Amino acid sequence: MNLEATINGEELTLEIEPGEVLLDVLRRNGFKSVKEGCKTGDCGACMVLVDGSAMTSCTLFAAQVQGANIKTVEGLDDELAGSLRENFLDKGAVQCGFCIPGVLVSAYSLLSSNPDPTEEEIKAALDGNLCRCTGYVKQIEAIKETAEELGDS
Amino acid sequence: MLKQVTDYHYPGSLEEAASLHDRESRSFFIAGGTALALSDSKRPVELIDVGGLGLDELELDEEAGKIEIGATTSIQNVIEHEGIKSVLNGFLSESLEEIGSYPIRNAGTLGGSLVHPFPWSDVVTILSVLDTEVTYFHDGERKTRDFSRLYERDFRSELNDSVIEKLSIDLENETRTAASFHKFNRSEFDVAALNLACRITHNQGEIVEARLAVGARPMLAERVKEVEEELAGEELGSELARQAGNMAPESLELGDDKKISGDYRETLAEKMTTDAIKGIYQEVSK
Repeated sequence: MNLEATINGEELTLEIEPGEVLLDVLRRNGFKSVKEGCKTGDCGACMVLVDGSAMTSCTLFAAQVQGANIKTVEGLDDELAGSLRENFLDKGAVQCGFCIPGVLVSAYSLLSSNPDPTEEEIKAALDGNLCRCTGYVKQIEAIKETAEELGDS
Repeated sequence: MLKQVTDYHYPGSLEEAASLHDRESRSFFIAGGTALALSDSKRPVELIDVGGLGLDELELDEEAGKIEIGATTSIQNVIEHEGIKSVLNGFLSESLEEIGSYPIRNAGTLGGSLVHPFPWSDVVTILSVLDTEVTYFHDGERKTRDFSRLYERDFRSELNDSVIEKLSIDLENETRTAASFHKFNRSEFDVAALNLACRITHNQGEIVEARLAVGARPMLAERVKEVEEELAGEELGSELARQAGNMAPESLELGDDKKISGDYRETLAEKMTTDAIKGIYQEVSK
């Protein structure tokens, strides 16, 4: 069957199996930032935005996003995404990097709907992302810094 | 991936969804999809997506005193509803926030959580202590049933082949009601090793009605009727909380699984029951 969806701003028609998950379809079609980690919805390495909501693509059937607007980290190209990237680098929030696309998608989703989050809200937004390197401290700092920067501008 | 799935349907109405399901006994309804996508079940050969049926309405009708939640409303949307945050002292929003992680709650739906509930389901435990009705489409007719009674008796035969349309939560006694939800799990987004919900309707501290439900026993939630009956008519207080805590493990069927032992569950049931009632007492005393 075919999946018609807008992925990172481009209207695409992709051939899918009715029982396969979105993660597999995205990776097969070159969206390699979407990582396969646990494949049980726990680690968040496969996080994408579906019509603006952060979801793990390993727990969604590809056919469920028929007609939806999907964004992976490659498709986040506005001021917010740029500021998040810069601050993740500046704060040393990236070590091995495997989890980072998913973390950035979660952070982007949070700041899009809540531009001035508390630390608790940041932690809650990241509770679906596992990072085994950083302990999250630098990532939380980077998200706070981004919120402050964009709040000032 | 469910390799054996050959067809994925997008019905335009409840009737069409039901008819597709009747045609193929190995077809499954999909709402949020999270449970089935994670399973390695060999059973489904057709998937019927009910996400496009407009069953995602979410309304707090303060005049009628009820909350109506469409079956495909995401759990996160219920949590974020400003009106729902303020009713029942935030019980529904705060307890649903204990489920899974943010992205799972974004995809997961209340309706989907009820059709094939996991034994550790927090949703069943939470809804068991509220005045909840479930409306569903079954065998060509629309039915509305009391949630607790449905789950005590025949929910599998009723809901497994049904499309849930909505949940209605009655708020009639809301101003005289206090409730709390407790969950013991090994990490923030791990499933419960034991969960417990308690709701008390009172008249100036005297208990008019008590509801206590315990889930992940490791079986699906059940109401603890013996404790509920003991509490009715009593004055809320710390000593009463301790007595109820002592009674709870004996009044429940608790077992072992790979998470924790039955003995551990008994200790937890005692502590969580005591804490829940004490917490409600403190809230009511404010």
